[in-house]
Amino acid sequence: NKTWPEIRDKLREWRKDHVRCSEKIVELGEYALAHYSSHLGNEKWAVYEQLCVAALDLCPGKMKVVNRCIQKLAEQFPSSLRVSMLEGLKSEYLKKWDDALEMYNSMIEYEPTFPAPYKRKVSIYKAQGKIPEAVSELNTYLDTFSCDHESWLELTDLYIGQQCYKQALFCVEELLLQHPHNHLFHQRYADILHTLGGKENLEASCKYYCKAAELNSSNVRALYGVLMSSSTLASIGKISAKVKSDHQTLAAWACDMIEEYYKAQRVDKSVIVETASVLDKLSLK
Amino acid sequence: MYMGLGRSLVCAGILIVLHAGFSSAQHRTYLRLSELPYEGLPVDITAQCVIGFLMSCYGITRVAGEFKDISATSDMNRRTMDSLNNVPSFYHFAHRGRAIHSVIY
Repeated sequence: NKTWPEIRDKLREWRKDHVRCSEKIVELGEYALAHYSSHLGNEKWAVYEQLCVAALDLCPGKMKVVNRCIQKLAEQFPSSLRVSMLEGLKSEYLKKWDDALEMYNSMIEYEPTFPAPYKRKVSIYKAQGKIPEAVSELNTYLDTFSCDHESWLELTDLYIGQQCYKQALFCVEELLLQHPHNHLFHQRYADILHTLGGKENLEASCKYYCKAAELNSSNVRALYGVLMSSSTLASIGKISAKVKSDHQTLAAWACDMIEEYYKAQRVDKSVIVETASVLDKLSLK
Repeated sequence: MYMGLGRSLVCAGILIVLHAGFSSAQHRTYLRLSELPYEGLPVDITAQCVIGFLMSCYGITRVAGEFKDISATSDMNRRTMDSLNNVPSFYHFAHRGRAIHSVIY
């Protein structure tokens, strides 16, 4: 299987990067807690929490794991708000919305500065499919806790799902204010601008794609974005020859960068041949 | 406890520096007893002090763990949109996994 440092590092990486590979987390987490409990030390409790949330994704089969995690955490941290959150998560999974809402409301009364229950209330609306209520609840939350970049990210997704692109743009602007070095936020902003369309939006999206490509030269989506927006700009409307040639140069540069990137991937020739033959079989003749 | 090269170097380095300190104190006492003038520490004690210090420095860098790149954005460049979009505070469980896992079990 794997060595102990590999297991520990993988679990840490998944915790830090918010990867939702629940089956792998449950497998590795259970293995680590069974065999390496003493090596884990105080990290044990973080792993229990991670395991609990991942196991809820795999329920109803893994309900025993969930119950065991909650029990162990409650023993170690009695009357802890975070453990109560896990209980609330379990109620949400069981679709006991009223129980969960009651618990979160009492937590908010007890400790109004703890942000987690507010966010769970939003998730309850999301799970029930009531997106407009979720959006208004999240907006109320963000009035108070406006530095919470996770919530802005979530609100962006909710707005995009409802096709309210202008509001989604505002949310990504908040994200960009807090994290100006994140190439993915620049790319997201450019994606939404590109979706809105229209000449000014396309020009702006081209600029943001370029910024994303500048921050991270291996962000291929940003390069494709540069290619698409600049080639569209070169062909629409009445533009001067100089502007047109500028756009075309940019598109050509993006094309070259993409080709270079794919060449550098060094994929096995046999994979390419196989893929090509599969794609051939798919075409209508 | 797992005693790696880093930890043992730090321990050894600190002990060497402490020993150099005791030696220099002993040297001063000897000079005072034999009424010789103090002309600075002997070379070997200074050398021992410096070597012990360098050993602990090197050991600490090994204990400290992985170094990150200097560029501020290099850490961010490895993340992808798949993991960035996941916000654990907003996870809900009304997804297909529910139906799939009820069938399996």
